[in-house]
Amino acid sequence: MTTVQTSRDASSGERTRGGRFHPTTQQLNEGGLAVALLLLIVVLGARSPYFATIDNMWAILGDAALVGVVAWASTLVIVAGEIDLSVGPAVAFWGVVLAELNGKGNLPLWLAIFATLVGGTLVGALAGWLRGRFGVPSFIVTLGLWNALRGLAEFMTNALPVPIRSSGFLDTLGGKLGPVPTSAVIMLVLFVVFVFVAKRTTYGRSVFAVGGNARAAMLTGINVLRIRVILFATSGVMAALLGIIVAGRLSSGSSSAAQGLEFSVIAAVVVGGSSLSGGRGSMLGTLLGVLFITVIGNGLVILGVNSFFQDVVRGVLIVIAVLINMLLTRRGGADTQ
Amino acid sequence: MTPPATPIASIENVSKRYGGVQALANVSFSIGRGEVRALLGKNGAGKSTVIRMLCGVEAPDDGTVTLGGTRLDRPNVRLAQQLGVRAVYQELSLIPYMSVAENLFMGKWPTSRGQLNQRAMVSESEAALGRLGLRIDPRRPVAELGIADRQMVEIARALADEPALLILDEPTSSLGAGEVDRVLQAVETVRRSGVAVIYVSHRLAEIRRIADSATIMRDGRVISTIAMAGTSTREVVEMMIGDMSHEDRLVAGTAASGPVAMSVQAVALAPKLEDVTFQVRAGEVLGIAGVLGSGRTELLQIMAGLRRPDAGEVTLDGASVAGRGLAHGKRLGIGLTPEDRKNDGIFPELGVDENLVVTDWSRVSRLGVIGTSRLRSAALRAMASMSVQARSSRTPIANLSGGNQQKIVIGRWLHAGSRVLLLDEPTRGVDVQAKAQIYELLRKLAGEGASVVFVSSEIDELTLVCDRAIVLAGGRVVAEQQAPHIETDTLLLAAIGENDTKGTS
Repeated sequence: MTTVQTSRDASSGERTRGGRFHPTTQQLNEGGLAVALLLLIVVLGARSPYFATIDNMWAILGDAALVGVVAWASTLVIVAGEIDLSVGPAVAFWGVVLAELNGKGNLPLWLAIFATLVGGTLVGALAGWLRGRFGVPSFIVTLGLWNALRGLAEFMTNALPVPIRSSGFLDTLGGKLGPVPTSAVIMLVLFVVFVFVAKRTTYGRSVFAVGGNARAAMLTGINVLRIRVILFATSGVMAALLGIIVAGRLSSGSSSAAQGLEFSVIAAVVVGGSSLSGGRGSMLGTLLGVLFITVIGNGLVILGVNSFFQDVVRGVLIVIAVLINMLLTRRGGADTQ
Repeated sequence: MTPPATPIASIENVSKRYGGVQALANVSFSIGRGEVRALLGKNGAGKSTVIRMLCGVEAPDDGTVTLGGTRLDRPNVRLAQQLGVRAVYQELSLIPYMSVAENLFMGKWPTSRGQLNQRAMVSESEAALGRLGLRIDPRRPVAELGIADRQMVEIARALADEPALLILDEPTSSLGAGEVDRVLQAVETVRRSGVAVIYVSHRLAEIRRIADSATIMRDGRVISTIAMAGTSTREVVEMMIGDMSHEDRLVAGTAASGPVAMSVQAVALAPKLEDVTFQVRAGEVLGIAGVLGSGRTELLQIMAGLRRPDAGEVTLDGASVAGRGLAHGKRLGIGLTPEDRKNDGIFPELGVDENLVVTDWSRVSRLGVIGTSRLRSAALRAMASMSVQARSSRTPIANLSGGNQQKIVIGRWLHAGSRVLLLDEPTRGVDVQAKAQIYELLRKLAGEGASVVFVSSEIDELTLVCDRAIVLAGGRVVAEQQAPHIETDTLLLAAIGENDTKGTS
């Protein structure tokens, strides 16, 4: 009798706990971040008349794209329990490659762009293959790429900008469509695509499975190697795309572009609630994280904060955001244990 | 069997309940200097609870635990250690990339003037290892040692504190036959130095070589403490099992005899499997019994294609399986559920639905895009047919009970259309009600023509559910029985009595 009683109690308790817990964590993460973002905008708007203007909002979106275009792919990488440190140097390198192919190489622009995107895919796939086939930690593989790609870009250009022949297409890519920065449009279109991939495709769900429990994924017959190759290839092609956009903005390929981008991306993804140990994360969270970081940067400039001190404020705010996130998650997580 | 004059450790009239389960009922037990006592019993008989009491991890509800004359009234691991109790568990706890010496002195490294005193550490380690008759260079990292040597280092570490009572929990379960001798010799050395040893094992042949006496437990009680010399293996087994009622057997009458589906021929994998041959028929539940370390898990992994055997062949309807990889086995229709559900089975953050369809997305998707309603209906169908209790099909699987998780882990192979199911301990950590449901599920699947291979360390389960049962011991199939003539005692006898001429005749 007693046995039956306790087991029934235990299972019903679990169910109610599960019911309360499931919808909350993600909503807490994203809701909290959205509130923080709104607060930030209100405070900044009150402090400066230049902040809350339409033009500045578009500018923020344009700047956000410089992180966002690669952040979606990086979210999947981090959800899979991996990391890609190479995105900053990759953006610079592929911008330089585009400029070299189009300028010195005299390749037609469309072919140069195509070659750049293919190159980005292949280098990313190589990183994923080294990770998946030989088990080299992705931190190390992409740290190697981080060094090599930046170095190669500087070596090819002597660290000088390589001008690109002016073309309407590139100018638009780096410029605006009406009042809207083209990069912002690309970022938002890609966002929709990646939300779809993450939530509705077998590939996206396999990424979550591999990140949540790679051994179990292997034991259910998921091709873990293929997932990892595709992950890094995607990250690589997005970095190449951002390289092209940045080159369009600068009208040149620059080996010093996108300094520290990888850290902004990781910060945005983690602020957005993805777990660095894998298995958990959301695109919406990353979008909010990207906007959060961009708004801070923009606001600090508008408020006229000393540019060295801006980094300090940014660093502190990122850690606080993640800390709050962790505390919220831990409260939710304690329920499941 | 002479009762020791001053027991090193004793337990008197101890009872312990966990929730509704009576783990120990009026248990008394004592051990004296220089005695090696085997502790025998099936899973859940109460052996580990006794060990936890002696180690001070838990205190009894009733009765007393006395260590060297001092009573232990409440859980106090440190006091138990001060009173000289050391336990070595089957999971090794050494740090692989540190040296043997550093491991032996873990946490209390000798220093001189603020620096690690390597020389003292190495020479003291050499002495400690030497006392066990070991010649291992203490400067070598543990990672370079074989499993037997690691086990010995573990024992040496426990002995370094000069314990009065050493508890060894299945110390040979991961060892091959040749390595077992070395551990037994070490135990003999320890005993001669006056230490009391409690030796938990299922391998009676080993126990006969090392222990003078054995305490046999069943259902939380001490059945008897016997002298090993005068007792046959069959008598031991009968005491471990007690009266078995076979009323609730799920297999009626004679076993089904469909065509052979899977064939395992002369499979070998050092050091555990030597020469394993058997067949699995369509429409049957085949049970595989064997003690911990008998190679059950490795055998299933070979049958799924996951692990390549050293020799031998596995075929499914004539197609080769062994060494071809898990994906190949999956295409042929083989599904494997792992022993360690939490670490190898579930995707904790994903919903029930995705945990189910992960073996074959193509049934709920088109061109890689998941159909939400198809996913939902596939999940609900599976949940209904296996009576999985969850709030919705999207509830994270981590929120489900162990039994419901296990049903989903089995169900994912049904979703993939597997016709051979290799289930490694599917009822571990599952409550009674869910166990019964899992048994019914296995019978139903067999009834529909699937082949189910059911590995369990709880032998009673096999008699309940299986059409046929085989026993794995010493790297071979040593016994086979057909329903309705599957008897727990015969299976257990074959499983634990390896190389034991006394009882197996």
